[in-house]
Amino acid sequence: MRWKQFFTPVKSVSPSQAQKIMNDNSPDNFNLIDVRQPNEYETSHIPGSKLIPMSELDNKLDDLDPTKPTLVY
Amino acid sequence: MSGGIRAWDNPVAVGTAELGLKLFDGDDTPQQTLQTAYSLEMGLGDFYNNLTARVSQKSIQELFDKLSRIEIKHQDRLFNEYVRVSGEQIERASFDAQIETGALEGGLTTQEYLDLFKPDLTSAVDIVSLAMSIEAQALDLYTRASEKTEDEDSCKILQTIAQEERTHLELLGKLL
Repeated sequence: MRWKQFFTPVKSVSPSQAQKIMNDNSPDNFNLIDVRQPNEYETSHIPGSKLIPMSELDNKLDDLDPTKPTLVY
Repeated sequence: MSGGIRAWDNPVAVGTAELGLKLFDGDDTPQQTLQTAYSLEMGLGDFYNNLTARVSQKSIQELFDKLSRIEIKHQDRLFNEYVRVSGEQIERASFDAQIETGALEGGLTTQEYLDLFKPDLTSAVDIVSLAMSIEAQALDLYTRASEKTEDEDSCKILQTIAQEERTHLELLGKLL
């Protein structure tokens, strides 16, 4: 259950708050993760988001920098 | 993010996680990375110029001209960065001659963008929306390319360009 620890503490942010975080920070200062399925990502995704489907998240934690804030949708 | 993608009312990107990445080799040098980005900006500028010839409304022609000039400014910035990084004393015309264009910002071709977004070329709102969609696509591509590249300096360059695209998106939004 390492992934649960990784995302602790978790708080919800609104899309406008998320947008502000993205506007105020360089892309290398936060993780932006799309945890939906590849076909959903292909149809539309937030620009700059990294596709890591929920089912693969626990195997791909090393792709994320735990020292940076992570936005997930 | 509360509400997920459905609550996101800003421009989105489309396509797979690999779309357009063939334009960037994972081991590109900073100079090669800047040349590729420059070619994408040049392609978009040409795209707007070509569309100008296809419309008759003066206000729309002026809008395309404005969008084209924005791309020229992007190109200026990338060229200056290329000169700084490479240390080469190269004339702009010589640099341009080395550039191959085929795709636009975001990695799609002119026709692919028109097919995808189907803009009404008599509508200023549609045209600005198209421009914003292209910038969103570009932001997405540069971010994904930055993750692919193994060269640290190239990675930083791509991240910087991605952030600039985000700023461009904001500026275009103000035109609506």
